[in-house]
Amino acid sequence: MITLAPLTLLAACPWLVEAPILASLAGRVPGIFFGLPLVALASLIFAATHHEDPAQIRLATVHWTVWLGGMLGMVLAAVLLLGWLQ
Amino acid sequence: MGTNVEPQAPRIVAISPDDGSAIDLRNPAIAAALSWAVPGLGQLYQGRTTKGGLFMAGILTTFVIGLWLGGGRVVYASWKPGDTRWAFVCQAGAGLVALPAVVQSAQLLGPARRPLFLNGFMAPPLAPGQYVSRAYAERLVSHEADIQADDFFDKPPWKQFRRDQLAQWHRQLGKFFEIGTLYTMLAGMLNLLVIYDAWAGPLGPSEEEKRRRAGEPADAAPRPGSAPPSSTAAS
Repeated sequence: MITLAPLTLLAACPWLVEAPILASLAGRVPGIFFGLPLVALASLIFAATHHEDPAQIRLATVHWTVWLGGMLGMVLAAVLLLGWLQ
Repeated sequence: MGTNVEPQAPRIVAISPDDGSAIDLRNPAIAAALSWAVPGLGQLYQGRTTKGGLFMAGILTTFVIGLWLGGGRVVYASWKPGDTRWAFVCQAGAGLVALPAVVQSAQLLGPARRPLFLNGFMAPPLAPGQYVSRAYAERLVSHEADIQADDFFDKPPWKQFRRDQLAQWHRQLGKFFEIGTLYTMLAGMLNLLVIYDAWAGPLGPSEEEKRRRAGEPADAAPRPGSAPPSSTAAS
């Protein structure tokens, strides 16, 4: 039931997923910012699957967010630099 | 009179990498299957409620947000030449939330040539020349802004689509088709870690591994209350 509830909502109310809502809400956000929640989620899941204690999970989440964000930031910087040099 | 002591079935436990305490995994196969079906449900079954709730909220929210960003169209199963949806392999990792896509695809490609949910939720896009039922064609014409009545050839008892619906979706959604696909794929892939956590416990280094990394001798005395440094044990 927990799983089917959001799907039922989306299936029953197709206007929730139509383009005008996207254009008004998500459309105003620069594309790169859509990656931030994914970095945070991946760090959280990765930390939670490596620890059992909530305090340790929080610490590891911060650790992985910094590490993953730093790595992706360096890749982004390299791509931007290459684009600027061309 | 002797007393009969029933032999207890061995409990499969994992060792917490944080404090060395034992974690009762109950039946790991059932827990893993539950965690695939609904992310975090296997951990709830094992009594690890905090982690179960965390996994459930995080992964399901990401999946639904991705579905919403992609206009409800980024999760579909299709193995047609020219539109093999490999992303669905990752999306299927999220469990039952991706199951409607399989049903919709099987129904649309089956003898009825129409998806189970006529609004096309999680149904694969129509390819040029694909035959569909008249009811589904009429539904698309009346509800899809990009599809007109003359986009179908009349081939009784079917209608034959003459355009490429996937191209229409890309044009309509732009970058959100890819962003939504990425969100739903990542939700499915991260659930694989959750399934493994339900199967074998936390992946963190054991006390012995931590000591080895710290340069201490492996046979140093364990902390009080810590368990043997094996990942799983039967007690």
